[in-house]
Amino acid sequence: MFLRILRKDLKRKRTTNLILLLFIILASMFLASSVDNLIAVNGAIDHFMEISKVPDYLAIALTDGKTDEIADFLHEQQWISEYEVITGFNLINEDVTITECQTDSGKKAYERTNTLFIETIPTDFMKVYTQEGESLTLKPGEIAFPKVEADNNNLQVGDKVSIRVGEEEKEFRIAVIVKDAVFGSSMMGFKRLFITEEDFAEYEGQEDVIRTGIYNVNYIDKEKFQSEWKEQDFKVISAINGPETIRMCYIMDMLIAAILIVVSVCLILLAFLVLRFTIVFTLQEDYKEIGIMKAIGLRDAGIKGLYLVKYLALSVAGAAIGLVCSVPFGKAILNKAIVNIVVEQAEQNYAVNIVCAAAIVGIVLLFCYASADKLKKISALEAVRSGSDGERYRAKSRLKLRKRARMRPYFYLALNDILSSIRRFGVLLVTFCLGMILILLPLSAANTLKSDGIISEFSISPSDVYLDTGRGETYTVDMDSLFRDMEDIERTLSKHGMKAVTGADMGYMIPCYSDDPDDSVSYYILQEVGNWDRQYSVLAGREPELANEVMITELTADELEVGIGDTVYFKMADRTQEMIITGTYQSMINMGQGYRVSRSAKMDPDYAGGIMCVQVEIEGMESEEACERLKEIFPNYRIMDAKGALDNMIGGIIEQIDTLMYFIVAIVLVINSLITVLLMKTMMTKERGDIALLKSIGFGNGPLKGWQTFRLLMILAASVVTGTLLSNVLAPYLIGPIFAMMGATSIQLVTGTAEAYVFYPLLLFVVTGFTAMLCAGGVKNVDLKEVNDIE
Amino acid sequence: MNTLTVKDLCKTYIINKRQNNVLKNINIVIEQGEMVAVMGPSGSGKSTLLYTVSGMDHLTAGRVDFFGKDINALNPSQMSSLRLNEMGFIFQQMYMLKNLSIYDNIILPAYQSKNGKGKEKRKQINDRAKELMHKLGISEIAEHDINEVSGGQLQRACICRSLINHPKMIFADEPTGALNQQNSKEVMKELNRINAEGTTIMLVTHDMKVAAKSDRVLYIEDGSIKGEYVFGKYKGQEENREREKKLSAWLMEMGF
Repeated sequence: MFLRILRKDLKRKRTTNLILLLFIILASMFLASSVDNLIAVNGAIDHFMEISKVPDYLAIALTDGKTDEIADFLHEQQWISEYEVITGFNLINEDVTITECQTDSGKKAYERTNTLFIETIPTDFMKVYTQEGESLTLKPGEIAFPKVEADNNNLQVGDKVSIRVGEEEKEFRIAVIVKDAVFGSSMMGFKRLFITEEDFAEYEGQEDVIRTGIYNVNYIDKEKFQSEWKEQDFKVISAINGPETIRMCYIMDMLIAAILIVVSVCLILLAFLVLRFTIVFTLQEDYKEIGIMKAIGLRDAGIKGLYLVKYLALSVAGAAIGLVCSVPFGKAILNKAIVNIVVEQAEQNYAVNIVCAAAIVGIVLLFCYASADKLKKISALEAVRSGSDGERYRAKSRLKLRKRARMRPYFYLALNDILSSIRRFGVLLVTFCLGMILILLPLSAANTLKSDGIISEFSISPSDVYLDTGRGETYTVDMDSLFRDMEDIERTLSKHGMKAVTGADMGYMIPCYSDDPDDSVSYYILQEVGNWDRQYSVLAGREPELANEVMITELTADELEVGIGDTVYFKMADRTQEMIITGTYQSMINMGQGYRVSRSAKMDPDYAGGIMCVQVEIEGMESEEACERLKEIFPNYRIMDAKGALDNMIGGIIEQIDTLMYFIVAIVLVINSLITVLLMKTMMTKERGDIALLKSIGFGNGPLKGWQTFRLLMILAASVVTGTLLSNVLAPYLIGPIFAMMGATSIQLVTGTAEAYVFYPLLLFVVTGFTAMLCAGGVKNVDLKEVNDIE
Repeated sequence: MNTLTVKDLCKTYIINKRQNNVLKNINIVIEQGEMVAVMGPSGSGKSTLLYTVSGMDHLTAGRVDFFGKDINALNPSQMSSLRLNEMGFIFQQMYMLKNLSIYDNIILPAYQSKNGKGKEKRKQINDRAKELMHKLGISEIAEHDINEVSGGQLQRACICRSLINHPKMIFADEPTGALNQQNSKEVMKELNRINAEGTTIMLVTHDMKVAAKSDRVLYIEDGSIKGEYVFGKYKGQEENREREKKLSAWLMEMGF
């Protein structure tokens, strides 16, 4: 009888077993690959930091190439073990020309993604590697590009570019696409090109060009060094506090692996729900056989063993297939996740995959063991009578048909079934609900980042066009050139019949403190410049208006333990400026740290760090049209709308979230469909007698399909509504912290969009509903004579 | 017009590549208001005959006319409509939907029927359900679950369900087969009463006492009708003994 039940189960519940197997495969594949990847990425970042030799502290400053006070200071420093100064030339868009491109896009004008330097191959600190993880070597006439710059300009190995520094212009062949540990991540605002020392020497003689010094330092005593460094009050455009800060910039590279873990945890949960559902259903279906086995004296343990053997076989098979699949799947994901990281060339760590797959088998069996515990509770008589001992008088929760004067009977049957088996259908509700939440949470994040108002959360006022002239650093040494460029833009647009005003935010890196001057830390300070008075969003208080007023981000206020009305101090070369805090705001620039001063504040131009873009507001023109026109008028400038500007600032996060969301939508649709097939098939197997009975009393296939389909659609509708409500409630707790990490501490998440309320619910509804309808077609295969199968 | 006309009906099953002729050239005519019992040994094809002539199973050859309509020519939807509005079915096991109360099980086919839409019509259905349950003596179990009532009560509820749409004919497969003697008597009393009110009935039974209460008995053996015994209308229980005796003698002749 043991074998007969097992054989019957495997044969009759082929689809159910197959779907369960599929869930176990998916769960083990996702878990094994994502855990392995997370460990690999985490380890890879450490490894990459180590082989690249990331310094404890690094500062970037502009120099004239003649005197270098920072280098002199470092040379005399006793609290550092070693240091290195790398000198590079700053490049603006016009300095780079694409002379030969294999993709033949016809594009000659170069568009840099970030601040761009050209320098020699680093040998001590901040080393770079090829895509294969090998040290970079170049021949004269060759150049190495970071991936993000090459991709942005459709460049690949073999293409040629011409680089001009001052009066000297040289052509290079792109020989290598490199991985740069310090500046490679999408969140880093600097990118480097590399050439040989011989080639670099030819640029060295140039006068009046902006040079960048990158100062790498390893400490002996961090505290003492930093204290002396602060005293010097060097003008730096960026300072990075070692590997920890750089590691933070790789957060997006780890995000995919982390989200895959979340998806796999959801899949495991779903696998358990499916497992519980199938075990309970199998037990109910086999009540008679179980009853007979009990009646003839078989012990519960023996019967339970029968089911455990089946699920052991299923879970071992599923986990083994999942384990095999997890290797190529994990590699594919890893390759996508670590485009910027050099992974250690070690053997694949199969142990992690094996442990994950074994964990799945163990958990499935434990769960099965617990679910099969129900066997203990049923007597032989109860089992033979299909779960009924004939002595129960407990009325089931149900609707009264006669009180539903307008309800169609098939609709009534569907609703009554749900109300009569709340627990069974509750499992389905939770499953569908999870799917909805999995879609809506990243959607909410993406929509928030795409929303019109989000740009103001970055402490940038909205405008029609965001224009990158590619000369950001030139403005730091010659601020008048910025005003000339803005006037030129206004004049040119006026010639084209457009009335435009321009504005920009100049960023300064200035040491600030609240109490003790020794505790001063360099912060990013924004000041509005140009002809256009703009409004900035504030969280509390008001915008600064006077020269000694300042607005502070909430994160910085928390860090310095100051609030509105308090005083902070800006340490500039010739003076210390006392500033009164008038308001707080949030910003996702510089991880949410910084200040904004009024137009009238007197800032030392020596501390200027550049602008992100020139903002243009055109009278009587929508942003989209304005961008199109400006692209024609200024072919050498990078023209962006608010979304483009934002995406540029935060390193393509929106696109990554979008890709991730489409992936999750596909997974959820597949899972929903699988669960629908599973549920409908299982229920229909159990209800064949009922279907035959209804057919015999005159129900046609249409109403019967309606009964089977509506039952699922009602659950689906309830799940979609519950899922949407829950994701609205959960979003601030789950998505909010991610934004807070980037600096947006009080962001208003965008949840109630047409996509969230209409498109995705409808998509789930249509796909799952269509699957349900297809499955419900099975009622026509039920023979009327099967009425005799009713137990 | 005849209620049911069966002409040269054949039914063949293929089992393990072997042809099994279950019904062979069956010819039956059942007139309106008749109550016809089908008897025969186990495996003779009684139930298959009932399911085939009622459209619950497909015939292999021949023709079955229900009120002049060839049921084999009807599409599945028309056949469902016929079963819903013009036929009633009673099975040996008292099949009902477990999630519904006795009362809801009874009114379900009526709510699904062409006369089941609209508040007024549904009120009429409820009145009819109450009347039927009252007549069959099961008013008190209306709100019970199906596992809370006796077999006899459940079978009477099944009869109520089969009558709810005013069927022109009832097909009953061993309607008393799962009942004790007392319940069996009560169920037959109801069927006779329904028949007396004009509903045509065709029933399959093993029980001589049940068959003796019908107007006519068909004896089937090896898939063919071997004989027919005509009683005429059943007038009351005082006739029982004599009818049973006659039927017994005839069945012995048939080799039952």
